[in-house]
Amino acid sequence: MMNDIMESVESQEEIARETIKHALKALKKRHLVEEGAHAPAYIALSRPIISQGSEWKEKAEKLEVELQQCYKAQSRLSEQLVVEVAESRALKGSLQEKETAIAEMEKELNETRDECSRLEVDLGEKITALKLMMSEHQELKSQLEQLTIKAKNAEAENKMLVDRWMLQKMQDAERLNERLKASGLEKLAREQVEGIVRRSEEGAEFFAESTVPSVCWHRINAHEGGCASILKVAELERELNETRDECSRLKMDLEEKITALELMMSEHQELKSQLEQLTIKAKNAEAENKMLVDRWMLQKMQDAERLNERLKASGLEKLAREQVEGIVRRSEEGAEFFAESTVPSVCWHRINAHEASSSNNLFVWDVNSGRVRHTLTGHTDKVCAVDVSKVSSRHVVSAAYDRTIKVWDLQKGYCTNMIIFHSNFQSLCFSTNGLTIYSGHVDGNLRLWDIQTGKLLSEVAAHSLAITSISLSRNGNVVLTSGRDNLHNLFDKRSLEVCGTFRATGNRMASNWSRSCISPDDNYIAAGSADGSIYIWSIIKADIVSTLKEHTAPVLCCTWSGLGKPLASADKNGIVCTWT
Amino acid sequence: MEAHKYVWEGAIPLQIHLHESQVTTLPPPPPALILAPRIGYLPLLAPLIKPYFSSTLPPGVDTIWFEYKGLPLKWYIPTGVLFDLLCPEPERPWNITVHFRGYPGNVLIPCEGEDSVKWSFINSLKEAAYIINGNCKNVMNMSQSDQLELWSSVMSDFELYLWFLEGNLEAYQRVSSKLKIATVEDEYTSFYASKSQQGIGETDLAGQVKTGRVAVRLYVWSVSEDFDDLEDMPQPDSWEKISYINRPVEIQKEGKCFTLHDALKVLLPENFPDESLNVKLAAVDFENTLKIPSEDVSSDKVGEEQEQNAYKQVGASCVSGSAEIKLIRIQGIEPKLEIPFSWVVNNLMNPDYFLHICVCVKVPK
Repeated sequence: MMNDIMESVESQEEIARETIKHALKALKKRHLVEEGAHAPAYIALSRPIISQGSEWKEKAEKLEVELQQCYKAQSRLSEQLVVEVAESRALKGSLQEKETAIAEMEKELNETRDECSRLEVDLGEKITALKLMMSEHQELKSQLEQLTIKAKNAEAENKMLVDRWMLQKMQDAERLNERLKASGLEKLAREQVEGIVRRSEEGAEFFAESTVPSVCWHRINAHEGGCASILKVAELERELNETRDECSRLKMDLEEKITALELMMSEHQELKSQLEQLTIKAKNAEAENKMLVDRWMLQKMQDAERLNERLKASGLEKLAREQVEGIVRRSEEGAEFFAESTVPSVCWHRINAHEASSSNNLFVWDVNSGRVRHTLTGHTDKVCAVDVSKVSSRHVVSAAYDRTIKVWDLQKGYCTNMIIFHSNFQSLCFSTNGLTIYSGHVDGNLRLWDIQTGKLLSEVAAHSLAITSISLSRNGNVVLTSGRDNLHNLFDKRSLEVCGTFRATGNRMASNWSRSCISPDDNYIAAGSADGSIYIWSIIKADIVSTLKEHTAPVLCCTWSGLGKPLASADKNGIVCTWT
Repeated sequence: MEAHKYVWEGAIPLQIHLHESQVTTLPPPPPALILAPRIGYLPLLAPLIKPYFSSTLPPGVDTIWFEYKGLPLKWYIPTGVLFDLLCPEPERPWNITVHFRGYPGNVLIPCEGEDSVKWSFINSLKEAAYIINGNCKNVMNMSQSDQLELWSSVMSDFELYLWFLEGNLEAYQRVSSKLKIATVEDEYTSFYASKSQQGIGETDLAGQVKTGRVAVRLYVWSVSEDFDDLEDMPQPDSWEKISYINRPVEIQKEGKCFTLHDALKVLLPENFPDESLNVKLAAVDFENTLKIPSEDVSSDKVGEEQEQNAYKQVGASCVSGSAEIKLIRIQGIEPKLEIPFSWVVNNLMNPDYFLHICVCVKVPK
């Protein structure tokens, strides 16, 4: 049984395999008969179609590309066309304008031509008039010539007649002489004849000079009174000529004067106009100046405010108090040793400020090494006053002619605050607490400023003229101000009232920066004068105590040493004296 | 698979004539010679045919349709099937006529070019998937690119006369394997695997779910006359004579091999009124000199033994008055009835997972 099943299974499989083989064979046969046989031929036959198809495709693509190019060209051409049309329109418009312009110009031309012809006519008329005048002139000239000839002729005739008359007279005289020779009236006769001859000579002159023939002619006929009348006529003629000459001279003079006057008038006019222009210019310049000053002031105030704000925000500074303080102290004591230049101030700052005045910088010197420690730049004009804070020796204030006060921090090396004021500062002084500054101004006012806010605390009129220096007393209660009005005032710091005034007859301020100072015991005031002497007042007595004469040149400044003595003074020649 | 390759590459030489009603030039254009793939569809050939005739066509809109000897060809039937069905004696080249006007809307459903064919193909695929898997989710969920790839792999060699089909076959197999449409278990296919194609085919078969259901499209035409040779077989001249049966076949594993014959019995039971008789008779008729007819119906063994010496021809004649199957054609071949059906299904099915079988049946008058 199993074998049978196995066999049947096997035979099944065999059958299956056989049939499958048969099917595959049939498929193969089909392939050979159908596509196998026909494919090559069909492919060969269809190739032309395919290739044609591809050819057509290529052609179509080429044509498409060409078409695109044509479109592009067309669009370009149409753009060009648009441009050309626009241009032609513009040209037409301009052409129109030009035509109208031409028409107008033609009209103008005609008008001018008419004017021209009119002017020609006028000219013709004027020419004829001129010709007439010329011919008249000619006639007058010829007339004049004729008259002159006539006059000459008349002269010649005159002369001839005079000669004849003379001859006649001579003959008469000779006859007379013959007759009178015996009688001895010769003398008389000779005198008469001589007189006549002389007179006739005189008259002949006058005749020669006359130019008016008609008057002479009449005169010859009237014998007796002939000479006199001839003389008179001649005189008259002479006078007439003289007057005429004078007249002409006067005329010429007058003309000259007139021309001169005209010239002068024109010059005058020019000068007047120039003056006007200059006044205008001056006015403009003034106005501009004012405006600029105002603007600059404003700018400076703004800058100062900005600076102030910015600097307030900055952090705290480190202290190198000792060093700077030491410098300050040492400088106070040995300050006189720095005053070896012609600078009026003895303060060490001031020297350097002036040395650097051309660059408007401040230099901070190390006393020990003698080298510049800091260079503080920022001022735009000469620095005129400097002071160091007595509290923290790293704060320095400087005032310059740019109307600003700058507060510097030596630690940081730059300006920490700035105050602007319209009246220029002349001198500065730190207060004892180091928070306020006293500033003396050109307008004679003493002003107090708060350093940190930069605000004006108070002001007081200290002098009628500019303040030259401010110095503080040791105890800090009193401020000494000196002004160009040759006064020294003491102000109470708190009330800002004058508590003392000092003057002396010979005491005159030597310069704008003359420095005076209070003694350390607050009893005396010392001030230099232009005559070379130093005056010392006692505060208590309010009177001069002594006068020190040594300097030969105006004393520019003096200062008391912190110890009480010596007093040092410097003059314009650069000499420093110390007094004990 | 050699069989797969043959099936995929199969093409029918066509000689396509333009119908005279549409010839407007003299001389009339020569017929177009075109190789039409068996697994393809006729409307897909339109781009190849048009260049031949475009110059001679009368002006107007073109709607292409084919006819063979007066019978308009249904465009959704694969070309190979049409050829097998309508040409009992294969006519090579096959002379069909093309029309560009006068679409016979009463006979043919409308076709609007490649898209209609594509959707018809996808529809068949869905049907097959439903039959085989029980649902067509896998086809519905196919991604667009996969769909396109599937279609193009099927269609690509329709357009080009380039037979680089290994690639296309691979592409098709790659995409279709994604569908995981179950295949029939078939131990025979691997036997005859060719070295070049073994890789994909085997893994495909090995990794897929096995099923017992097969999608089958059956085209049966009935003839009333008797004939001896294929050449004398009358050709179908009307679709009414052709019946189109869409019936699934369930492969039963009952120890013995399920043959094509068994499948046909399932599909066309009326043709096999007495199955054993038929088989026996067939065997007897054929081998009447060799075998003794056995009365024992159940001795299948004997029957099978007898079947071992199977006839070379296909035709099984029957003396009884019932219909008899004269001709069975699948993919242009006539396989033996004893061939394992599983092999047939796995190797001879169309890309739409359907097995198209053409059957000629003689019915008594």
